[in-house]
Amino acid sequence: MPVRAPEPSSGDIHDLEPQQFLEEVHSFEFWFQAVEGYLSGLTWGHRPDTPDEPLVPADRERLISVLCNYCVGETAALEGSSGLIAIAPNRLSKIFLSTQVADEGRHLEVFVRRLRDLGVADPEAEIERRASRSLLLFKRRLLELVASKDWEAAIFAQNVILESLEFVVFTSHAEDADPVTAEVLKAVIKDERRHIGFGENELGRRLADSPHSRARIAQIRKELDHLVLDTLEETSGNIGLDRSEHDRLGRVYLESVERLGLLR
Amino acid sequence: MTKPVQSDTTSTEDERARQRFILEDTGFDEVPKKYRKFYRKWKATGDALAPNEVICPVCKVVIRSSRELRPGDRVYCMPCMSRLIVVRTDAGTLEAHVAY
Amino acid sequence: MADFLSAYSIQRWLESCPQGYLVNTEYGHETGEEEPELLYSNEVIHEDAIRTTVQLVVGERCALAASSGLINAAPDEASKRFLATQTLDEARHVEVFTQRLYDLGVRKDELTDVINRYANPNLVKFAEILLEKVDKKDFIAGVVGQNIVLEGLAFSVFEMMHAMNADMNAKFAHTLSGTIADERRHVGFGENRIGSLIKTHPEKKSEVERMQKDMSYFMLATFADGFRNNETAAELDRIGEGRAHADFHGKDLGVMSPEEMEGLLADTVLKEFKVRLERVGIEYQTPSRP
Repeated sequence: MPVRAPEPSSGDIHDLEPQQFLEEVHSFEFWFQAVEGYLSGLTWGHRPDTPDEPLVPADRERLISVLCNYCVGETAALEGSSGLIAIAPNRLSKIFLSTQVADEGRHLEVFVRRLRDLGVADPEAEIERRASRSLLLFKRRLLELVASKDWEAAIFAQNVILESLEFVVFTSHAEDADPVTAEVLKAVIKDERRHIGFGENELGRRLADSPHSRARIAQIRKELDHLVLDTLEETSGNIGLDRSEHDRLGRVYLESVERLGLLR
Repeated sequence: MTKPVQSDTTSTEDERARQRFILEDTGFDEVPKKYRKFYRKWKATGDALAPNEVICPVCKVVIRSSRELRPGDRVYCMPCMSRLIVVRTDAGTLEAHVAY
Repeated sequence: MADFLSAYSIQRWLESCPQGYLVNTEYGHETGEEEPELLYSNEVIHEDAIRTTVQLVVGERCALAASSGLINAAPDEASKRFLATQTLDEARHVEVFTQRLYDLGVRKDELTDVINRYANPNLVKFAEILLEKVDKKDFIAGVVGQNIVLEGLAFSVFEMMHAMNADMNAKFAHTLSGTIADERRHVGFGENRIGSLIKTHPEKKSEVERMQKDMSYFMLATFADGFRNNETAAELDRIGEGRAHADFHGKDLGVMSPEEMEGLLADTVLKEFKVRLERVGIEYQTPSRP
C-alpha cells in the first residue's frame, strides 16, 4: 500500500500524529515545495529588477564588514551542518540536514555575490581580513564539537546558538538595509526558521529523554555565550543599531536557550 | 483571512461551543502551498490574534487552526517544525508552549 | 578555476534542478503515477524490485555521507558550495528510493530490517573504501571515489535501468531520469575539479589508483551477485510476459540473458572509468574479476 504525505481526515494539519508531522517536515519534498514559494524568480537571492541604490562610502564600508562576517557565520554553518550528517542518529535527521547544507551554501553564495556587487574584487581575501575574532573562535569550537561526534553539543552550538544569533541579527538588519541587501536577508531568514526550529526541537526532545545531558550542554552554553554576545555587539555596531535595540537582540537570543532550560 | 462559519455540534458541551473557521491563503510563502493557509505573518502594529490563532514562540509566525483554540490543544508550526501545546496565561490570553 | 566553478553555483542549481526538471514532480515522478500491477501481484518480481531498490538506497546513503563529509575537506569555498548542492541531491535520492520501497509495500517499521536483509555485502564494502577516505578528509581520493567511481557507476546503472523501465514502468523511469540529470553534474564536477588538483598533487596518483582498483572489484562483485541470482527474466518467460526491447549501448536488453547483461554493464562502467580517469591524468587499473 503506497505511503504518501499525510492528509488528516479533518483537513487540519494540527490533527496529524507527531511522528507523521516529523516525517513530513524533515523531508526533501517539504523543503523543495517550501523554498519554491520564496526563491523562484530570485537571482542571487533578490529580484533582478530591485534597484541597487548607491551607498555613501562610510555605509558601504560598514556593510562590507557586516557581510564578511555573515560569510564567516555561513561558512561555519555550512561546514558544521555537513559534518553533522555523518553523526545524525536517524534517516530523517540526515535528510533534513542535507537541506540545511544546501541552504547554508546558498547563503554563503548570495552574501559573496553581494560583496562583489559592492565592488569587492576578492571577497575571500576580504572576508579573511575583516573576520571577527570572536566569530572565528566560535567557528573553531563548533567544528571541534562536530569532529568529536558529540551530536547533542554540536546541534546545540550549530542549530540553537549560531542559528538564533543569525536569525535575530538578520531580522533586525533587514528592517533597515538597502533594498537589495534587505531582500537577500529576508529570503535567508525564511530558511533560518527551519534551522532554529529543527535544532531547538531535536535538542528539546533529547534533553527531555536524558535530563543528565542538560548540565553538560549548559556548560557548553557558558563557554560559547560570551563569543556570541561579543559578535552580536560588534555586528550591531556595524549595522548601526542603538543600545536599546542591541540589548533587545541579546534578550531574544537568550530566550531560545532558556526555553530549553539551559539557565546560566 | 479567517472567517468564522459555525459552531461544531459533534462533540461534548465544550466542543459544541467551538467556532469553526474557513482558512484562506494570506500570502505566507514559506511552506508548501497546501499548508500555507495555516500560517500568516504577524503584523507588528494593529494586529490581533483571532480565537483560532497563536504565535509560535520559536519563530514568531502566527499559527492558525480551522477550530477555535482551547488550552491543551496541539498545534504544529511547520515553518520551524515545532510541536506546541496551547496554554492560557495568567492574563487570560492563549499562548503556545513548545512540547519537545 | 573560478570560472569553471561558477557553472556549479547554487543559483545555477536552483534554476536547473528544483525550478527546472523537478518542477511538478512528487518523489521524483509525476503525481498519480504508480508501479505496474505485476510488481505487486507476482512474488518473484516483487521481491526483485525490493532487492534492487535496496541497493539504490544503500548506494545513495553512501553518496550522502561522502558528499557531506567532503565539504569540510574541500580546499576552496566554491567547491564547498557545489558539494552542498550535491549533498542535497544525494539526500533526495535516498528519499525517493526509500519512498519507492514504501510504494512497494515495505512498512516504515520494517525499513531497517528490509535494508539489512537485502543490502549486498559487496556494495557495503565498496562504500566502506570510499568512506574511509572521506573520514580521513582526503579530498582528492574522496572526490575520485565519490564523483568519478561511485557516480560513474550510478550513472551507467541508472541509464540501464531507465532503458529497461521506459516503456514498462513510467513512474520508476521518471524517478530515474531525475537522478540521472543530477549525476551529470556530479561526474562533471568530479572530472573538472580533480583534473586541476591532480596536476598539483601528482604524489596522490598511486593511492587513488589503488582505491579505484579496489572499489571496481567490489562493484563487479555486486553486479555478479545482482545478475547471476536474478530470477526476474526467467519468471517473466515462465508467465509469458514479454521483456522490454530496450536499447542500451547498441544492444537489445530484451533478448539478453542476465549474465550477458552483467557483462555489458560491467564493460560499460569500466570503459567509462578508464576514459574519465585518463582525462584527469589517473591511470586506470584493471580490477580482478570476481
